[in-house]
Amino acid sequence: MQKYSVFSLIKNALSNHKNWDLAWKDPTPKKEYDVVIIGGGGHGLATAYYLAKEHNITNVAIIEKGWIGGGNVGRNTTIIRSNYMHDDNALFSEFGMDLWRRMSQDLNYNVMFSPRGIINLAHSDAQMNTYARRGNSMRLNGIDAVLLNREEVKEIIPMADFSENVRFPIFGGLMQPSAGTARHDAVAWGYARQADDMGVDIIQNCEVIGFDVSAGKINGVRTSRGDIKAKKIGLCVAGSTNILAEKLNMTLPIETHLLQACVSEPVKPVLDKVVTFGAGHFYISQSDKGEMVMGGDLDGYNSYAQRGNLPTLQHVLTEGIAMMPFLSKLKMLRTWGGIMDMSMDGSPIIDKTHIEGLYLNCGWCYGGFKATPASGWTFAHTIAQDRVHELNSGYSLNRFNTGHLLDEKGLGTKTWIS
Amino acid sequence: MRSQNEFSYGGDASIKRPELGKDVSDKDWDNFVYNRKSLRGKHWELWQHVSGCRQWIKVERDTSTHEIFNTLKANEEISL
Amino acid sequence: MTQSFRLESGGLINRDKKISFKFNGKNYFGFEGDTLASALIANGVHLIGRSFKYHRPRGFFGAGVDEPYAIVQLYRNGETEPNIKATEQELFEGLEAKSVNCWPSVNFDVGAINNLLKIFLPAGFYYKTFMWPKSFWYKIYEPFIRKAAGLGTASIKHDKERYEHKYEYCDLLITGSGPSGLASAYSAAKNGAKVILAEDKSRFGGTLLTSEVNIGNQSGKEWADSIISELKEMPNVTVKNRSQVFGYYDHNMLVMSERISDHLPKTKKFHPKQRLWYIRAKEVLISSGSIERPIVFGNNDTPGVMLSSAAKEYLKVYGVLVGKKPLVFTNNDSGYETAIEFKKNGIDPIILDTRKEPQSEIIEEAKNMNINIKNSYVVVAAKGYKKVKSADIAKISDDKEKLGSIENIECDCICVSGFWTPTIHLASQSGNKTKFNKDIDAFVPGISKQNEKTLGAANGIYTLEETLKDSFEKGNLLSKKITNNENKVSFPNVVEKKSAVHDKFWCVPLPKGKNYKRFLDFQNDVAVSDIEIALKEGYRSIEHVKRYTTLGMATDQGKTSNLNGLQLVSKIENKVVPAVGHTTFRPPYSPISIGAIVGREVGKHSKPTRKSPMHSWHEKNNAVFVDAGVWLRPRYYKQGKENLFEASKREAKNVRTNVGVCDVTTLGKIDIKGPDAAELLNRVYTNAWLKLPVGKARYGVMLREDGIVLDDGTTTRISENHYHMTTTTAQAANVLSHLEYYLQLVWPELNVNVVSTTEQWAGAAIAGPKSRDLLQKLFPNSDVSNEGLPFMGYLEGDLFGVKARIFRISFSGELAYEVNVESDNGNFMWEKIIEFGQEFKIQPYGTEALSTLRIEMGHVAGSELDGRTIPYDNSLEGLLSKKKDFIGKRSLTREAFTAEDRQKIVGVVPLDKKTSIPEGSHLVKDSNAPLPNPKLGYISASCWSVEHDNPFSLAILKDGKNMIGEKLFVMSPLKNKVIPVQIVSSHYVDPKGERVRS
Repeated sequence: MQKYSVFSLIKNALSNHKNWDLAWKDPTPKKEYDVVIIGGGGHGLATAYYLAKEHNITNVAIIEKGWIGGGNVGRNTTIIRSNYMHDDNALFSEFGMDLWRRMSQDLNYNVMFSPRGIINLAHSDAQMNTYARRGNSMRLNGIDAVLLNREEVKEIIPMADFSENVRFPIFGGLMQPSAGTARHDAVAWGYARQADDMGVDIIQNCEVIGFDVSAGKINGVRTSRGDIKAKKIGLCVAGSTNILAEKLNMTLPIETHLLQACVSEPVKPVLDKVVTFGAGHFYISQSDKGEMVMGGDLDGYNSYAQRGNLPTLQHVLTEGIAMMPFLSKLKMLRTWGGIMDMSMDGSPIIDKTHIEGLYLNCGWCYGGFKATPASGWTFAHTIAQDRVHELNSGYSLNRFNTGHLLDEKGLGTKTWIS
Repeated sequence: MRSQNEFSYGGDASIKRPELGKDVSDKDWDNFVYNRKSLRGKHWELWQHVSGCRQWIKVERDTSTHEIFNTLKANEEISL
Repeated sequence: MTQSFRLESGGLINRDKKISFKFNGKNYFGFEGDTLASALIANGVHLIGRSFKYHRPRGFFGAGVDEPYAIVQLYRNGETEPNIKATEQELFEGLEAKSVNCWPSVNFDVGAINNLLKIFLPAGFYYKTFMWPKSFWYKIYEPFIRKAAGLGTASIKHDKERYEHKYEYCDLLITGSGPSGLASAYSAAKNGAKVILAEDKSRFGGTLLTSEVNIGNQSGKEWADSIISELKEMPNVTVKNRSQVFGYYDHNMLVMSERISDHLPKTKKFHPKQRLWYIRAKEVLISSGSIERPIVFGNNDTPGVMLSSAAKEYLKVYGVLVGKKPLVFTNNDSGYETAIEFKKNGIDPIILDTRKEPQSEIIEEAKNMNINIKNSYVVVAAKGYKKVKSADIAKISDDKEKLGSIENIECDCICVSGFWTPTIHLASQSGNKTKFNKDIDAFVPGISKQNEKTLGAANGIYTLEETLKDSFEKGNLLSKKITNNENKVSFPNVVEKKSAVHDKFWCVPLPKGKNYKRFLDFQNDVAVSDIEIALKEGYRSIEHVKRYTTLGMATDQGKTSNLNGLQLVSKIENKVVPAVGHTTFRPPYSPISIGAIVGREVGKHSKPTRKSPMHSWHEKNNAVFVDAGVWLRPRYYKQGKENLFEASKREAKNVRTNVGVCDVTTLGKIDIKGPDAAELLNRVYTNAWLKLPVGKARYGVMLREDGIVLDDGTTTRISENHYHMTTTTAQAANVLSHLEYYLQLVWPELNVNVVSTTEQWAGAAIAGPKSRDLLQKLFPNSDVSNEGLPFMGYLEGDLFGVKARIFRISFSGELAYEVNVESDNGNFMWEKIIEFGQEFKIQPYGTEALSTLRIEMGHVAGSELDGRTIPYDNSLEGLLSKKKDFIGKRSLTREAFTAEDRQKIVGVVPLDKKTSIPEGSHLVKDSNAPLPNPKLGYISASCWSVEHDNPFSLAILKDGKNMIGEKLFVMSPLKNKVIPVQIVSSHYVDPKGERVRS
């Protein structure tokens, strides 16, 4: 494989960029694979990469209904963090942070991971205490966290509303300095390029029609491009989980919802941190291009439409201006929606299933992007070893039966309330 | 026609609560509390007119187009 | 400066009104009716800014919303706004604007070094480098890239402007006031339909303002003027200029942004800057016209290269010449119209037509005017850096692959026409699956999903006669469906020149040995070579191409670039254009102020503020308030120089020794009536309710179906079939919905009504050993003795003529009562309590003292009932009825919920009895254990126990039941604290509960 570097860039420039290799090939599916990963999003691509890299399993196909990286990895707000309260979530995410920190070098693809820090604003002492509980938990788990008072927050983000004319004054905030952002598309492409190089077949425009299951064992998958046999199949389809589960006669603790996001027109650097609002649900960061990247609440009802409604966006932006009044004068350039697999406790599922050889990776809610490397790594382990890794042992499917729930927000089963 | 802002969502309307006082298997109980089909296409769901008459209603809506086909009062049964 | 490019006469501007403005610090003049763009061009200014990536010079490309280049920083009335399109900004007296994306100046821009390095910066270059050393991306490379990007500068000052929202219903919403919009609006209005006609620009008429046509013996403009003035007079018609319909949402809801004050030097008093209209339309007619397509050639981004329709608009609307030596480069007849217009004004244009021998009326006219026309000719490259100085042109072979010898001709502008792209954004947003029309090489609307029809050029119809016919008819038909009227409008006689077929040509090949950048996306600097690289590297889906190269992702959202990008991909991939497919159109059509989207809910009004009827008393008595959801509650009443800690300790102590009064109005209150009310309570609460006597209250806990505690509170039986329920402040709305859910959907057979009465009652909690004595004074006619009103008893009393409800309930753990009166009498009640309480040393207490009192009593509240705990965790398992079923009971059998070492609430006291324990700390066995250090539990609430005069906390602790007496460590790494503690019972004061019964 061509190694990307400033030298390869110069060399190719001098030959008019005519000699760049394919980042990934476009093979026709083989009849049989050791492992088929369904879903060419970030998690699916990462899973295939780690199957090949960590477990030497390379007879692998990723099958994708549309184009790779077109799911939530291509439509998120690029936030990467491990500021969780529950141990299972925190340790899993912090493992992922390590993978993020060296991803560009590992993949030889600049994913532009920027540890610019995230601040969760607090608007009351009670909220400061809630954040203290989370931050102390992080620190005891070896994750960086700092509790900021009002003055400290003001120093870092003076454009937030510190005026008198504010409904919910800022009391302080919880900061994870090592959290940040990355270039979302590059993550998908970087994993795809390396997986392809190690022998993984990336098969786009290939839709799953059904499964071949007999005697409690998976044998293969039927697709729009023919039947494909497989010893093991991993499901990594985020917002389409419910649709494929139905084809497997499974009903999962998951609902499908729409999350909108939007960007403003680009402006010169003004906000260096990722910031979340504490008196509502709004988050913002500024991209390298200068656009303010903003998101908030779900649209609030089951949805597969990748188009959202304006009242939700209005509500989200209202909180945006409440937090940072200067946003008022910026213009909203682009909006989009992503389809979320909302689990019933807000935490994901990476587990085996009652069908032998079928593995499940879903329930990421709106936290899927940051989990891409850790999810791929642990899912690859679960598939390769046919047992869960300690890191994803808390993400079992049967926790909903046993009561070992991982509810970060305490909202329970009303998945549409975010 | 009322604005969507006046309503709040209540989830899958086809889920039936097991009767109080009756034995329920683990599986049935988990299906009631946690498991959802949440399919693409027609979906019967609950909405409450919270900023209005406070009635719960059942609405049949397409989850991919948001087209609304049918509405029922709270005490009317869905016929599938 | 003189307006050297302004014609002596002509245009629709008001030459009597001179307007002065500043650009990059220099003073200029324009006229009323100019845009900033037309005024700058009139003054010969063509260098406006620098491009995003290579910092190449940028001028003007269009004359309206499709403008990719002319983006400026605007200064208006002491405020500044980034990213204003000069082509849209109307000129006003005192306007100031500056170039963006350049440093130190637009003339000399250091960033332009990127232009010299451009061969090393192809599409995706940053994915391939800046990776070494590891930490350099965030610290070195990225900050540099961030600074270079971003166009304008955001002011971080608060926006003082006002934005409003308006809700409107109509029969027909018509988007655009060109020929199709006017005709359909007119015929629909004549049928009596309620019509809204929206025009994005300041002038109505669209292309009628610039085309040489004749309708009913009037010029296009005269006809447009007459129709508009007639429409304006009709009561059933709303006509709005400066109003863009930017979003088409579900159920025919469209959103329009009206720019009310942006064209004025400052917003008038009480006027909004912009107004957002939510319009629910029965039918929508999309008459948004089309946008001219560029032809791609070398250096086609040089200032002076612009759309030919824009050049015509500057001439006809503004009386401005975009150049004095124009070259018109066209593949269709539109370019001829521009050339003719130049010629009429004494300028000699040269037309390069890619077609071999086109023939039409317009071409004939041009020939008759002796315009120099070169057929089968193309512009190979524009020459000149900051402005076009000449053009390399060449003959092109019939197959359009080979160029003849290059000639250079002098020119100062190149007006390009590559035919027209229908503006299908709204149709696509509505869910219409668009289809590709080969005849016009563009997408047009297909089958409608909602009640929407597209007319005229937006539908790919480019002749005026057909457009008007279709539009009159559609307006008539759709309105007839709604109004049942039939007032046919007679169709006017239309005179227009017939056009020849356009040439399917859009990109000039590179001459041998030349490496000109041929731009597709002018703002993001995406060139043909970038798309070629993307495809070569396997980024083949149009979405991959777009994301890898950033094609169409600039602030113009690809209005002039998307289709040419598609053509290029389809050519290289050897696919037809529809097989490549276009990316989805989403709102907004063009960028919309976030302020306008949000409206009036800003600052203090971003969320409602709820205040109790006693609020002003609290204010007068130095209350310091705290937000409790949207409520404001007194946190403490400041005396002298007291701080929170001192004040709350004083207030709590006074409750324990004398008597205190606390405003509890914010507690949720639900009135429950009906013969089955007891049955309802019995089902939703975990404990038994069927035998509660009239005049008695009971504490209860409600669960969610998953077994987690939803809320707690007391409910009182007022009479046989009448109950009064209280909830926590936070859960009031959820509990009401919860009850309504079960009553309406699960148990419709229960005859019960519930209604929120939170706002109907004002509440005061009177607590402390002297509370009974005070109560007796307040209600001299009631028997409030321990026998007359025992613990959990209820009485109705007369508070000096005001009806009151008296509940003997206690959150503080002291002898306590809660008095409710109708809200209007709340202040009266409060003042009476204070007045009569003086002799018992009464003090008001706030939420902080309330917390202290409940914490040391071990009473749970929101920090324990955090949506993650079951009754056992809160030591509420005694309230779980074994005899009956209730909501959530089935879930309590789950393995984790019944585990031997299940978490449970405990009390925590520091060993030194001095060190306060921060809330949110965790409990560990070994404070020096390596990380991750296993956590046994967390501190949910802390106070200074006024009873014991030492710190006391509540904690939810693993195996809490067996931990009493254990010594552990409290750790708060955030505050650098490690505190050795002892675990005690959560009931730190009066564990037997004697006081409340005393």
